[in-house]
Formats: sequence, C-alpha cells, structure tokens
Amino acid sequence: MATIEEARRPDPAAFRKAGPGAIVASWRSLLFLAIAIAAYAYGWQITQIDFPALVLNLPKAQRIVVGLLQPDVIAEETESISASAPLRIGDAASVATGASSSSIGAGTLTVTPGAIRAGDEVTLTLSGVRPDSDLRLSLVDTTTGNSRPIRNDKTGSSGSFNLTFSMPSSVSGGAYTVRADLSWGLGRWRPSEAFILSLQKTIETIFLALMATTFAMIVSIPLSFLGARNLMQGNRVGWAVYYATRTFFNVLRSIEALILVIIMAVVVGLGPFAGVMAIVIHSIGAMGKLYSESIESIDAGPIEAITATGADRFQVILFAVVPQVVPQFLSFTMYRWDINVRLSTVIGLVGGGGIGFLLIQYINLLQWNQAGAALWLIGITVMAMDYASAIIRARLV
Amino acid sequence: MLRIEHLTKVFPGGVVAVDDVSLTVPDGEFLVIIGLSGSGKSTLLRCINRLVEPTSGRIFLNDVEITRLSLAQLRQVRKRMGMIFQQFNLVKRSSVLTNVLSGRLGTVSPWQSAVGRFPLPDYHRAFANLERVGIPEKAYQRADTLSGGQQQRVAIARALMQEPQLMLADEPVASLDPATSHSVMKYLEEINQQDGITVLCNLHFLSLARRYATRVVALKQGAIVYDGPPRQIDQVRFREIYGEEAVEVEIA
Repeated sequence: MATIEEARRPDPAAFRKAGPGAIVASWRSLLFLAIAIAAYAYGWQITQIDFPALVLNLPKAQRIVVGLLQPDVIAEETESISASAPLRIGDAASVATGASSSSIGAGTLTVTPGAIRAGDEVTLTLSGVRPDSDLRLSLVDTTTGNSRPIRNDKTGSSGSFNLTFSMPSSVSGGAYTVRADLSWGLGRWRPSEAFILSLQKTIETIFLALMATTFAMIVSIPLSFLGARNLMQGNRVGWAVYYATRTFFNVLRSIEALILVIIMAVVVGLGPFAGVMAIVIHSIGAMGKLYSESIESIDAGPIEAITATGADRFQVILFAVVPQVVPQFLSFTMYRWDINVRLSTVIGLVGGGGIGFLLIQYINLLQWNQAGAALWLIGITVMAMDYASAIIRARLV
Repeated sequence: MLRIEHLTKVFPGGVVAVDDVSLTVPDGEFLVIIGLSGSGKSTLLRCINRLVEPTSGRIFLNDVEITRLSLAQLRQVRKRMGMIFQQFNLVKRSSVLTNVLSGRLGTVSPWQSAVGRFPLPDYHRAFANLERVGIPEKAYQRADTLSGGQQQRVAIARALMQEPQLMLADEPVASLDPATSHSVMKYLEEINQQDGITVLCNLHFLSLARRYATRVVALKQGAIVYDGPPRQIDQVRFREIYGEEAVEVEIA
C-alpha cells in the first residue's frame, strides 16, 4: 500500500509522456508537421525559388558591383576644342584632288582630298595641335546632322595625327563634314557632377526626414498622453479615448510609407513634399505608440505624490510625468529621424524626392558608376546618422 | 480633528483591504499605525486623501466630509494634508528645489505652473524648509543624486510647503537604514511638537512606534485590533497583532 508520501511524489511515467520528446510521438504533432511541409512546399513553388539560377546568373551583377567599386565621385577638369572640315562624297565627276581644311586651336585639320567617291581612300591630318590629347573623329552628315564615329585616339607627342582609310561604300553621297574633337585634362580634379548632385539630394533627404519627423512629433506628442493607459484609466470616457488613440496610432503605423507616398504624390505631386507627408503620417503612428509606451512605463510614485499636494491633472502631468519622459521622448525622436532618413531614401524610389529619386534615375539609365556614387553616399549618411543618434541617445537617457 | 467612520475598502477582485475602521484623531496627535504587510495600513492612509476611493464609510476633516467632496473641492482639502512615502516619490530628474516647490502646486494657477514660475514667497518658503530639514545646499542638485535619507527629507520639505494641518506618512523609513530612520522620524516628531501638525504614520517596527507615537493603532486584515498608548502593547498583544510565530525585532 502506498503511503501518503509516495502518493504525493510525481509519477515519472506521466512526466515522460508529457515531457520533452513527447512532441514526436503524438499524432497531433505529426499532423502539424504534415501541414507545415505542405505550406512550405506551396510557398517554395509560388515564390518561384530557384537557387541554381541565383548562383549561375550571379555574374550578371557584375556591372552593378563594378559601378559600386568605381563610383563616379571625382572627375578631372578638361578643356576641349573642335573643328569641322567639309568632305563631299559623290560620283566620279565630282572627285577633286584639292584638300579642305579648317583651323583647330593653333593647328589645322586637313581632309585630303576634299571630295571623294564612297570606297575611295581619304586622309585626315591634324598638325600643330596639343600633344597627347584625346581625339574623337566623326563624320557628320550636314543635311541630317547625323554623326557616325570614325576613330577615337590620341594625338602624338609631336602634336600631329594622321589617318588614312577607305570610305565604306555603304556611305551614301552628299555633303559631309569631318569633325575633330580634342580634349585634354588640366591635371585638376574636382567632384564629379554625379557626386555633387547626389550630395545635394542626400542633404535634401536628411532635411526631408527632419521636417517629417518634426511634424510627426508635434502631432504625436500631445496625442501620446491620450494613448497612455496609466493616465487615462479610471473612467469610461478615459478608456474610450485611450482605445481610440491607440487604434488611430495602429492604423497609421500599419500603412506602409511606400503606399502613402503614392497617395500623396497624387495629391501634392511627385517630389519631396509628397515624401514628407507620407513619412509624417506613418511616423505619427510609430512615434505615438513609442511615446505612449514610455509614458506608461514611468514611475507612478511621483504622480501619486504630486496629486496628494492638491495639484490638478494638468499640473500632475507637467510636474510628475513630463520630467520623467522628456529624455525618452528626445531619444525616440532622434531614433525616428534616423529611421526616417533610411525610409526617405526608399520612398524616393517611388517619387518621394531626395536621393532615392536620383538613384532610380541612374539605375534606369544604366549609369552604374553614378548609381554607385549615390549608393555610397546613402550608405555613409545612414551610418553616420545611426552613429550620431546612438551617441546622443546614450547621453540623454 | 480627523474622524473616520466605518471605512471599508474592497478592491476589484474582492480583497477587503480596510474593514469597517472607525477612528478619531484629535489635533496634535502622533498616531502610528502598525501591522503586517498587507494589513491595510497603506490603503487606510490613502483613503484619507482619496488617492484610493473608499468603498463605503465617511471621513471628516474639521467636520468637512472628505468622502463627499467633488474633485475640485477635494484638491482644496488635499492642500492641507501633506504626504510622504516609502519610496520618497520625488521626481528624480528634477532639481531638489523644483521638487520642494511642487508642494505649492495647489496654490498656483495652472498657467503659472505651466511656465514653471512660482511666486517669490514660495522660493523663500522652499529654502526655509530645506534649511529646516538640514539640506539647503542641495537645492540645485538633481533629486536622484541624494541619498535615501536626504531624499526623504526633501519629501518632508515638499509636504511642509503645503503648510499642512495633517501629515500622512506611509512607511516613511522602510527603505532606510536604522540610523537614518531615526533622523527622519525625528523630523516628523519635530513638526508634530513644534508646529502642532497631526501625524499619521505607518510603521513596520513596533520599537519605532514605541519611541515616537503618542498613540498606536494596530491593523490586522484591515480591522483595528489595538488602539491605545504604545506602552500597553505587551507580548500578548504583540502576538495578537503580528501572529503567534512573531518575534519582536529591535531597531536601534
């Protein structure tokens, strides 16, 4: 017969049944496993997962990587001059032996002969020009203005250049000019155009985020007091206001800024202001919730103490609540600014202005080096913001 | 004079914290309420200034029925009742001076307090009260830089700013070491004897009650089990209050 002591002792067999390992044995967990496998199989199929393609096509990312590694950040200052000498292409009757020429800077561009038939040889000569300059020669149809490249080369160390070639027979007759473009570096480097533009747009992005964060803060701080459980409890009206405020925050927070910017672009047009408004709406929800939660986490003692002095509700909030939440509010606001800088680069992609707008333009034009410059700036800005806000927040709290 | 009639507080969930307590406290008394944790001491004290709303019963201060007052009228009565707490309940990030001045909030308009300016006499009062509790040099420090005993003295100064008729002290020394406890209790004794402020003080330790109280009320499960002078609490009564297994601990 079992004693009372034994009866109180837990049954090891029962523990073995319910303890770890039990999950493998029960039919419910097997059913769960089957459902999970089916769900993942469907998910694999519907999202068209294809890892082999990912590996095989990785080289396609090369241009982007090259663009990132060689961002268009600095450019050498150049000077350029150009000249055109006429060249007539026609039938045998019009062939001339005389050369046509044109002066280019201190030198001369000569086309010999000045009139040929398609298929004939023609000689292009440059003399007395700046040595070691980049030279671009092209044939321009004077009636249509169409241009086709002849040769890209460099002028020799003596400041001359010579090229003899047969005019392809596919070139139809008419009046042409041979155009020579000479350009040379001045040895002075300056920020490239893409870099300057990216920098301007990055600054626009930071300020876009600043304006949006400030507007959102102005709206959400007063509302956050209405969304704080510890301040609103006690009566039905308070609860109703509390739930209404929290629902309002949740609704705003749940609408993606990417969707909002499209709506705002319809209202105020594409550009930074649409981006500001989209971030404002999204941030009111996000910041309001954080503010409310930080009010809820304060020490209730001072509220009790200030209430006991005969202070009214407003004074209690001002003297017992506000001093406790100010550092956290500032900290959250800094953090949100940081998030909003990142967010505004993304919403720029869909028309919200700022650096994102520029980046998507570069990508669409396949200007990978320029896109690389923009991406580097975004990365540096986000990291700097993150670092700065972390330091400031650490000092505040 | 404070008069409590058949006060009962039942919390949501059915816990009876205060059970039909009737008590009359004449002006100038130093009343210590003792009892185990959870015996209803704190709730009783909070019912007096209605930080906790009583379920039933009536409370009178100078024949004004506190339990019937509107919120606006209640604030007028709260101004005459100072309160200090076990955890001091200072606003930690604010300066000592701001904490002390907040004792005057009941007398300034919301708009004055919104800009954080109090009338000049209040500043004089604040420094006088800080002087009284012996820490005038701490006025501009942040409250959380002070030691526990100093913080409780700031809390006393804050309560004194109200120029109260009644001081409610909820376990004022439970977070302090024995030496500091006596220093804080002595300030309460001083304002009781010099200013004639009635003190209602919750305490854990019977030894402190014996030393400072002019009258002791013991609560057990929300009801009064002893009401009389501190000296008459002998071993038998002590066990009645604290339970059969209790041993009295002396606080030096």
